[in-house]
Amino acid sequence: MSDYDDTYTESQVIMTAVKIIAPFTLTYGLFMTFHGGDAPGGGFQGGTIVGVTVLMLAFAFGIEPTRQWLKNSVLTGLVAGGVVIFGAIGLGMIALGGDFLEFTMLKEVFHIKPKWGLEAVEIAGISLIVSGVIISLFFTMAAGFSPERPSGTGGISSADNAAEGPDSPVAEVGDDD
Amino acid sequence: MIELLMDRYTYVLMFVLLGLGIYMVIASENLVKKLIGVSLFQTAIFLFFISMAYIDVEGASAPIVPHHGEPGEVMVASPLPQVIVLTAIVVGIALTAVGLALIIRIYAEYGTLREDTLREVRADE
Amino acid sequence: MSLFAYSLVIFILATAVATVLFRDVLSVIIVFGAYSLGMAILYTFLLAPDVAMTEAAIGAGVTTLLLLLTIARTTRPTTDALRERIHVPAVVVVGAFVLLLCTAVLPDMYPVGSTSTPVWSNPDVTQHYITETYEQTGVENAVTSVLAAYRGFDTFGEAVVVFAAGVSTLLVLKREVFA
Repeated sequence: MSDYDDTYTESQVIMTAVKIIAPFTLTYGLFMTFHGGDAPGGGFQGGTIVGVTVLMLAFAFGIEPTRQWLKNSVLTGLVAGGVVIFGAIGLGMIALGGDFLEFTMLKEVFHIKPKWGLEAVEIAGISLIVSGVIISLFFTMAAGFSPERPSGTGGISSADNAAEGPDSPVAEVGDDD
Repeated sequence: MIELLMDRYTYVLMFVLLGLGIYMVIASENLVKKLIGVSLFQTAIFLFFISMAYIDVEGASAPIVPHHGEPGEVMVASPLPQVIVLTAIVVGIALTAVGLALIIRIYAEYGTLREDTLREVRADE
Repeated sequence: MSLFAYSLVIFILATAVATVLFRDVLSVIIVFGAYSLGMAILYTFLLAPDVAMTEAAIGAGVTTLLLLLTIARTTRPTTDALRERIHVPAVVVVGAFVLLLCTAVLPDMYPVGSTSTPVWSNPDVTQHYITETYEQTGVENAVTSVLAAYRGFDTFGEAVVVFAAGVSTLLVLKREVFA
């Protein structure tokens, strides 16, 4: 069957390296998100780097513990919340009398730079969506698909299933060329 | 001829990468490799957009426009193609992930990732 | 127009050819990661740091991880051959395609880095955004201002596409990990 299995091997080298690097990548990602206005960076770049930090932690300390540490509702909230906030900011500009996402209204109504509207979209909208989607894609792919597992099981029981070995109910049909 | 290639090196690279991407999609039997071919093709298009935005002059910089600069004197790369590529990369990975999820699902249903075997298995049903 | 750019192009070409030719899927994935990293460095050279950072994190990082997870969840065909068999008809077709592009299209392209390209020189396109960005939005990074302000509606659509892709992955794998 497959040359890989799900058993997580603890590696001192990787764990130590990730422990040292992770705070820096997280800070770098957040810096990039919050500093997108005047330097290279922004929601897409910062969001991916924050997401990759979590992926790195999952690779070093095991995917399942990381998923339990990072609550599923947090991820769902990040992704859905990001879309809602982005839309709400856009609609807010209509409420102020402009068009959808017309940030110049901020200048006319509140006398502040349109910059703050941009930053709000980048930080509260795009970066949340991007980081949340990247992390949840990773966890979903890691959980894989096994037909015998009834859908509707929570994360914990599927974790037990996943730990038992790769799902291989189907006979291999000459995959070895 | 040589000068033409040297002057337009990123476009030459892009054409070759396009070819390699299509070849991988056509010739590989393995579905994962086909998807990697699609990604290769995609990056070739990204390279095309980025090379259009690039300017090679003295003092040219990334599209950060200093607010004290003289209008018309600022030499920066064009931000417009870069924004398209930026969003396209993120959308691209999300769509690649959907493709990979489909591949996992296909393997769970048919037990193979080879295109020819898959066709036989499906013909038997 | 430097030795650095040419050597980078050669590195990218080499890794791309290796991606196509390797037989083992794991080798292909790893070489493809190296290819993405080379591409990210080339983007930096082409004055697109924003794109380069995204490509480095996503192309070299996330894509590689997702591909590795996929072969861990499915299969990695065992093989002794180092290199994939050449598919001759495909080579002929693709070779003709590339040759056609290089002979018919390439001479009409502007040289790399030319300031007379329509993208850069047209006063109504790039020049407008470069001169007006700080005035109208108050940010210095033109990429951010175009992304979030001038092209905000499009970005909203992209964000929803990313969201939808996340949802469809969950649907395809019938997972309720986010219950």
